[in-house]
Amino acid sequence: MKLLKFGLRFWITVTSILSFLTGWIMLAHAPKPSSTSSGSSTVTTPLPTLEPLRPLSDFAPNDNNVQNQPTFGFQSQNQSRPSRPFFSTGGS
Amino acid sequence: MIRSIEFRAMNTTVMLAAEGELAMEGMQATKLYIDECEQRFSRFLPASEVSDLNRSAGEWLSISADLMEMLQLSVKYHKQTNGIFDPTILADLKRVGYDRSMDEIRTNGVTDGSLASNRRSLSSFTEINLDPTNRRVLLPRGMEIDLGGIAKGWIVEKAAHLLRQYVDVCGVSAGGDILFIGQPSDGMDWDVYLEDPRDPTQMLAQLHIPCGAVATSSVMKRSWTHAEVLRHHLIDPRTGEPAETDWLSVTIICPNIIEADVYAKALLIGGWQEALKLLQTNSSATFIAVHSTGNLISSTNYKDYMYEPATDIFLSTGIAS
Repeated sequence: MKLLKFGLRFWITVTSILSFLTGWIMLAHAPKPSSTSSGSSTVTTPLPTLEPLRPLSDFAPNDNNVQNQPTFGFQSQNQSRPSRPFFSTGGS
Repeated sequence: MIRSIEFRAMNTTVMLAAEGELAMEGMQATKLYIDECEQRFSRFLPASEVSDLNRSAGEWLSISADLMEMLQLSVKYHKQTNGIFDPTILADLKRVGYDRSMDEIRTNGVTDGSLASNRRSLSSFTEINLDPTNRRVLLPRGMEIDLGGIAKGWIVEKAAHLLRQYVDVCGVSAGGDILFIGQPSDGMDWDVYLEDPRDPTQMLAQLHIPCGAVATSSVMKRSWTHAEVLRHHLIDPRTGEPAETDWLSVTIICPNIIEADVYAKALLIGGWQEALKLLQTNSSATFIAVHSTGNLISSTNYKDYMYEPATDIFLSTGIAS
């Protein structure tokens, strides 16, 4: 019985050491990962450029003679379609 | 791409916009046409056809086909608006100070001489004699007419159809009387900003128009002060005085620019009563009025053409939206 226990422990120890060494050797010989800057076939996508945010003052109501009714300026609305001409109606 | 040009004519700003290869060529031709129309139909130019007509009162006068068409349309709208659209208010206009072009009045002010003039004769516009077959007209003696209430819309319509011969998509605006033909190639409606009559640099709402007409009349634009009294050019033919109204401006959206132009004036002068009557007879028209408080009053279908307004809107039923 003692002999069986000794043999089992010896076998486990040896196989563990061999497995460790085998893994070490495999990793040591594995190809290294390529650098992101060195690959000539890498496709680069330009980052989007963001417009600066409009100041909060653009949203404040004007302090004029308009009885505090909310209004908003032409320009800020027209920015949504810059290629369109600016039509307005208000009598002539 | 939509191209546009802007220039001054008829004492207002004219803008042409067109999309197509021949856009610039078409707009140059249209500009020439508008300049020519101003020479023909301005009451401020002694050599114009309208001035000839006013000098001819009491005698038959041969006129052009265009002037005949304008006079026939004037008679039609005079009847349709129960006399509120009335080209015979010229003597009243002169009496309250509008005896020269608005650009001149803005520069030099009104003269006392014009204010002392007599009121117009009591001849009704229905007494005008039109002979379309022989293209002749007879104004009753003492009658003078001003086609300012209809000429701009008529010129915009003709100009837009001229421009349409060069491109598929175009818009013509004269002082905010606008006609759009065709929808831009990007599939979006035309954008039109509704000015605040109290401060035209601000807008009260943004409209989107697929095609068709938009016209606005305002008591604030062609106005002047005399003896500390604010006067404007929209004469109420029932009183012979500038119309007294709580509405500062009226905008009409409908397929026809001449109708939009005439109705905008009739509603501003006639107020609620006329608005309800006209809308009953013409269901295709949408109106948006700006009250002196800054609130909007509108037909119930305003949402077909308007993004969310910046102020309260009251429907013609009297319910706030």
